[in-house]
Amino acid sequence: MKKFTSIVATMALLGGMAYAKEVKIGVVLPLTGNIAAFGQTSKAGLDIAAAQNNKLSNGDTVKLVVVDDRGDKVEAATAVKRLLDKDKVSVILGEVASSNSMAMAPVAEKAKTPMLTHASTNPRVTKGKKYVTRACFIDPFQGAVMAKYALNQGLKTAVVVTDAKQDYSVGLSKAFKKAYTAGGGKILKTILINSGDKDFNAQVAALKQANPAIVAFTGYYPEAALMLKQARDMGVKTPFIGADGTGFPQLVKIAGKAAEGFMYTDHFNEAAVSSPEAKAYVAAYHKKYKKPADSMGALAADGYGMIIQAMNNCIKAGKASDDKECINKNLRNTKGYKGITGVITIDKDGNAVKSAVINEVKDGKFTYKTTVNP
Amino acid sequence: MDMQIFLQQLVNGASLGSMYALIAIGYTMVYGVLRLINFAHGDIMMVGAYFTFFAKAAGLPFEVAVLIGIIGAAIVGILTDKIAYKPLRDAPKISLLITAIGISFFLENLFTVLFGSTPKAFSAPEYLTKIFHIHGIYLPISVIIIPTVTLLILAVVLWILYKTKYGMAIRALAFDIQTVKLMGIDADRIIMIVFAIGSALAAIGGIFYAISYPSIDPLMGIIVGLKAFAAAVLGGIGSVGGAVVGGFILGFTEIFVVAMFPELGGYKDAFAFFFLILVLLFKPTGIMGQDLERGRF
Repeated sequence: MKKFTSIVATMALLGGMAYAKEVKIGVVLPLTGNIAAFGQTSKAGLDIAAAQNNKLSNGDTVKLVVVDDRGDKVEAATAVKRLLDKDKVSVILGEVASSNSMAMAPVAEKAKTPMLTHASTNPRVTKGKKYVTRACFIDPFQGAVMAKYALNQGLKTAVVVTDAKQDYSVGLSKAFKKAYTAGGGKILKTILINSGDKDFNAQVAALKQANPAIVAFTGYYPEAALMLKQARDMGVKTPFIGADGTGFPQLVKIAGKAAEGFMYTDHFNEAAVSSPEAKAYVAAYHKKYKKPADSMGALAADGYGMIIQAMNNCIKAGKASDDKECINKNLRNTKGYKGITGVITIDKDGNAVKSAVINEVKDGKFTYKTTVNP
Repeated sequence: MDMQIFLQQLVNGASLGSMYALIAIGYTMVYGVLRLINFAHGDIMMVGAYFTFFAKAAGLPFEVAVLIGIIGAAIVGILTDKIAYKPLRDAPKISLLITAIGISFFLENLFTVLFGSTPKAFSAPEYLTKIFHIHGIYLPISVIIIPTVTLLILAVVLWILYKTKYGMAIRALAFDIQTVKLMGIDADRIIMIVFAIGSALAAIGGIFYAISYPSIDPLMGIIVGLKAFAAAVLGGIGSVGGAVVGGFILGFTEIFVVAMFPELGGYKDAFAFFFLILVLLFKPTGIMGQDLERGRF
C-alpha cells in the first residue's frame, strides 16, 4: 500500500512537472527596414516587460519568439506562418504598421490563433476578425483628437498630407477630415506622398500656395521629418500636427530646428504616468536604456501584459495556459487592464478604448501637452 | 500656378534632376564599356553617403569626409568589378546582370547588418544649407551648387573621354573589347578606371542627395538608382550627355507632376516611368542614344 502511494505520488509529481511547461508568444516586428525604429522601440519595451514577469500563476514560463519582417507586408504574413508551423506559438504579438498587421490577420484568423497588435491603429485590422485584438486606440478616435485639438486652437483651414502607400495614413486622413469638417473646419487640399520618398519640395510648394492654418500630416516619421525640414526651408510657417507614427526621436534628429512646434497625438508620455505599474516600467526603462520611455515600447509592454493576464485567467478557469480559444476569449474580454499607456478596455470589435495624449516638440524634446479621454 | 511658384518648381526640378544625372553618368559609362547594367550602382551611391557620414562622425572636417566618401565609393566600385564582374567577363551577359543584382542586395544587407536600418541624420555645414530669399522664391544654396557641379563634372568627363588617352581607350573599348586587347591595351585597367569614375560620381550624387534630404539609410540607393537608370535609358544609354539630359527631364517631370496635380503626387514615380515608356516607344535608343553597335559616348 505504501509502495502504491509513493508510485501515485511520483506520478502526480511527474504529471505536475509535465504541466510546468513553456508557452510561446510569437512576436512579429519591423526590426529592420524603413520603419525599423518602430520595431526596435517596441522590442525594447517588450524586453523590459518580459524581464519583469515571465512566469504564469501555475509555474509555466513564457518565451518570446521574435521574427523580423523588415516592415514588409509579405514578410509579415510569412513570419506568422513560420511562427505557427515551426515554432508552434500560442499567441501572436505584433505588428506596428497597420498594413502589415492586416497582412498577418487573415493567417492568424485561419489558424484560430489569437493575435494582439500593440500599435496598429487602422480600424480594418480588427474589423470582422474573431481572433485579432489590439492594445491601442483606433484612428477614428485619433483623427478626431487631432481635428478637435486643431479646431480648439482656432485653426479652421487645413491641408491633409496622406501617405498613399500606408493604410494607416489613408485611414487616419479620412478620420481627420470627417471630424474636422464636422467641427466646422475646412479642408483646402489633400496632398499625397509615398513612404520612401525624400523630395517633398513640390508638395511643399503646393502647400504654400494653399496657405492653410494647419497641416495634418498622417504618415510616418521619416517622411514627416523631411517634409517639415523642406517646408521650413521654403519659409512655410504653418503649424503641423501628426499622429502616433511621427513621435520618434529620429524626427527631431533629422528635421532639427524645423521640428520645433510640431504637435502629434500619441499613446503615452512618460511625463503623464501616474499608476505604480507605469512608474515601475518607466524606472526600469531608464535604468536599462538610459533614455526616455517611448510609446511603442510601452504599448508592446502592455500587449505582453494583456497576454499574460489572459493566460493566467485561463489557468484560473482550469484550462491550459496555451489554450488558444481561451486566451483569445480572455483577450477579447479585457476590462480595466491597468496598463502603462492607461486603463485598457477592449470593446466588442476587439479595439482598445483608452485615452490619448498630445505632445509637442519643444527644444528638441517631446513635451507633454494634454490627455484626451474617449 | 503663378510665376513665383513656377520658378520655385523649376529650381527644385533642376536640383533633383542633377542628382539623377550624376548617378546616371556612372550607369551609362559602365554600360557603354561592359554592356552591363550595373544594378549595384545605386548602392554605391549609398556607400559613398555612409562613408562620408562616418568620416564626419569620426570628427573629420566635412570637406575631408566628402573626399573619403568619394574615394571609398570608388574603391568599393573597383572591388565589385574585380571580385564579382571580372571573373564573368566571358560569361553570358545575363550572368553578369544577375551578379550585379546580387551585389546590390549584398551591399544593402551588409550595411543594414553593420549599421542598422534606422535612418541617420546627415548634417552638412552651414554654407551648404544656407537659404536665399529672392522675390518670394526660396533658394537653398544647394539647388545652385548641385546643378553647377553636375555640369562641371559633365565637362570633365567629356574632356577625359575625348581629350585624353584613357578616354580614347574607353571609347575604343566601347566599340570592341577584343580588338582593343589585341592592340596591347590593358582592358582590365581601363575598365577599372571606368568603375572608379562611375562610382566616384555616384558618391558625389549620394552626398548631394544626403545634403538635400538629410537622412540616409541602407536602402536609399534603390529608388534613386532605379530613377537614375531610367534617366540613363531615357537619355540614351551609353551616352554621357544623354544621361545628364535624361536626369534633368526626369527631375522636372517628377516635380511638375506633383506641382500641377498634388492629388496625384503619390503616383509621381508612375508618371516618371510612364514618360520613359512614351519616349522609348517613339525613340527606342533614347533621346541622345545612337544605334548601339555604332558610335557611343
